[in-house]
Amino acid sequence: MRTYRRTAALAAGVALVTAGCNGGPGGGGGKISDGKIEIAVLNDQSGVYADLSGKASVEAVKMAIADFKAKYGGKAVAKKIEVTTADHQNKPEVASSKAQELYDRQRADIILDVPTSSAALAVAGVAKSKKKIFMDIGAGTTALEGAQCNKYTFHYGYNTYMLAHGTGDTITQDGAKNWYIIYPDYAFGQDMTKSFSAAIKGAGGTIVKNDPTPFPSDNFSTFLLKAPGLNPKPQVLGAMQAGGDLVNLVKQYNEYGLRKKGIGLAVGLMFLTDIHSVGPDALAGTKFSDAWYWNASPDNRAWADRFLAKTGKRPTFAHAANYSAALQYLEAVQRAGTDKSDAVVKQLEGYKFGDVFAKNGTIRAQDHLLLHDAYLAQVKPSAEVKEPWDYEKILKTIPADQAFQQPDAACGL
Amino acid sequence: MILRRLAARPVLLAAGLLVALALPWLIYPPVAMDMVCWALFAVAVDLLLGFTGLLSFGHAAFWGSSAYLTGLIALHSGLPFPVAVLGGALAAAVLAVPIGWLSVRRTGIYFAMVTLAFAQLVYFVANQWRGLTGGENGLQGIPRDFFGVDLSDPFFFYYAGLPIAVLGLWFAWRVVRSPFGRVLVAVRDNPARARALGYPVDRYKLLAFVLSAGLSGLAGGLFTMGHGFVSLEEVYWTTSGQVVMMVVLGGIGTLWGGVLGAVLIVELGDYLSTAGFEETGIVTGTVFALTVLVFRRGIWGTAAWLTAGRRERAADGATVPVGERENGEPVRA
Repeated sequence: MRTYRRTAALAAGVALVTAGCNGGPGGGGGKISDGKIEIAVLNDQSGVYADLSGKASVEAVKMAIADFKAKYGGKAVAKKIEVTTADHQNKPEVASSKAQELYDRQRADIILDVPTSSAALAVAGVAKSKKKIFMDIGAGTTALEGAQCNKYTFHYGYNTYMLAHGTGDTITQDGAKNWYIIYPDYAFGQDMTKSFSAAIKGAGGTIVKNDPTPFPSDNFSTFLLKAPGLNPKPQVLGAMQAGGDLVNLVKQYNEYGLRKKGIGLAVGLMFLTDIHSVGPDALAGTKFSDAWYWNASPDNRAWADRFLAKTGKRPTFAHAANYSAALQYLEAVQRAGTDKSDAVVKQLEGYKFGDVFAKNGTIRAQDHLLLHDAYLAQVKPSAEVKEPWDYEKILKTIPADQAFQQPDAACGL
Repeated sequence: MILRRLAARPVLLAAGLLVALALPWLIYPPVAMDMVCWALFAVAVDLLLGFTGLLSFGHAAFWGSSAYLTGLIALHSGLPFPVAVLGGALAAAVLAVPIGWLSVRRTGIYFAMVTLAFAQLVYFVANQWRGLTGGENGLQGIPRDFFGVDLSDPFFFYYAGLPIAVLGLWFAWRVVRSPFGRVLVAVRDNPARARALGYPVDRYKLLAFVLSAGLSGLAGGLFTMGHGFVSLEEVYWTTSGQVVMMVVLGGIGTLWGGVLGAVLIVELGDYLSTAGFEETGIVTGTVFALTVLVFRRGIWGTAAWLTAGRRERAADGATVPVGERENGEPVRA
């Protein structure tokens, strides 16, 4: 036993010493660590979010690298730019260990995407302790630029405020004053309801009633049957459900013929892939906020054509945002002349730019939130759909300075 | 027991500890830490499932509530991490008293369902009490402090956390080998007879339940410290399911089988996340189905059965004090 104990102590000792030697980022060498830039995409590749981002986002990032190389050629700050990817299965534990591994072992200089709020917040913590850059695209929580913000984390694309305000404000201002909101009873739904209520009241509307629904749920008939009888009668049904719940809700909304009874439908969060899977007719007329739409302008379309050629489908806003985030990161490295995180963060903070995804983009220095134009969109009926994936009509552009919230005082950057 | 008769036990023990010490060299340290935590959790569940015959489908409640409490203690008090972990484990044990008291009155599928219901209750409380638990966003930025020593490097934390887990494993082993553990086995195999012999069966079950919950809590607390955050997933029923799967994979009633099951499942999950294979569920599911179909004793159980000599195998049912279960499957302790 004693021998064993000595061996164990020795092993532990050796372990500690050697780890000390290995620790820390590789010093010396050129200005680019390890002689290359490594971009990691960490997202859901097998679960509910695999369609709206997933592996196709890796392709989008590859497009960004190709564009960057084509633009700078021999002057590019790094000859070698690679992309690596991992599946976090929407589990925060997996996301946090994978993020550590990507930064440490794969020598990733930046992690992109990370849908699911809890996973995103976990990775933000890792980025902070490793002092490596993280740009979140897939998660909606405003905590990323609020109480949980940090120097190395950026929120790139959308958040719950953007979703609520684009839709809530505009529809109310357009004359639908009375709202009936139903929301799934968990953090995302509660956040969305709070944001929507503020937006609607701010625009002079009233919330006739808001009801929490069980989550997950496939039967919303209680709430849908109740809607026409409310006093005053709501003009809009605001649904904060997402994914499979949303699909069921929409089907039942149609079955009860609420639209014919004068109650419109507004949806909190919807992706192009959601419309694709339900079919446009079930959702026709629904208004919602979108961060980007592939067929909204010729240059969007040109990019979407390239994406289609590579992946066989049209991009969601998450795909375009991954492309844009990778590109803007590389541009920042180019300007900084190094991939050292602090120097790159300095280049990103306050940066004003425009690219295929971010129109009138600014990376706000106070909280690292990307401000850009957002859109109010409406689903077309199938009669108006001219080609595959052509589901949306952009009703209105919400300018970048109005689309997102003011910086949260809880974020002390 | 067979292994001990072969005098292989000290060798196995030393080998196991050596592997545990070398683990962060072989695989990525945070993953190694996960393995250790899940291993302890699996052993805690096996204590109840394998040695008391109670299949709990609600152990996420104890793992998770300890995870939250450990996180809250570390976040708000700045106490060294072992104190936070012990606090969490204690809370899990306390929570197990009323839940266990009500649950042990039932057996079999009813017991599983009642524990599942209680775990879901805990889940909803954690989900709704957003001011305290952060709802589905969870708690972030939990410090790993040990009397002023910063343990944020997962490599060092592994060695700081390992002793706690080893103590937990030793405790489980000690419980199983104690007279109390023998009574548990008697309760499992023939509760009517145990009662006739004068043992208060329900109280034994309750104590086993509380001990198992406390150890689960220890594992959950350590897991929280290992990651630096708590998410709602810790109290979700899939966590309860995952740990039962680990125990079955490793071998019910073998105690150390749970360790093997945990290592395998955690490694598989980690490997698959970068393997570029899209359906992780299919792979883990297939491994599980194959194990249940082909190696009904689990990995450890099958290995022990194979290494035991033929004579011992034949004599097994008679000589092993643990005896036989209803389905005629001999069980090794």
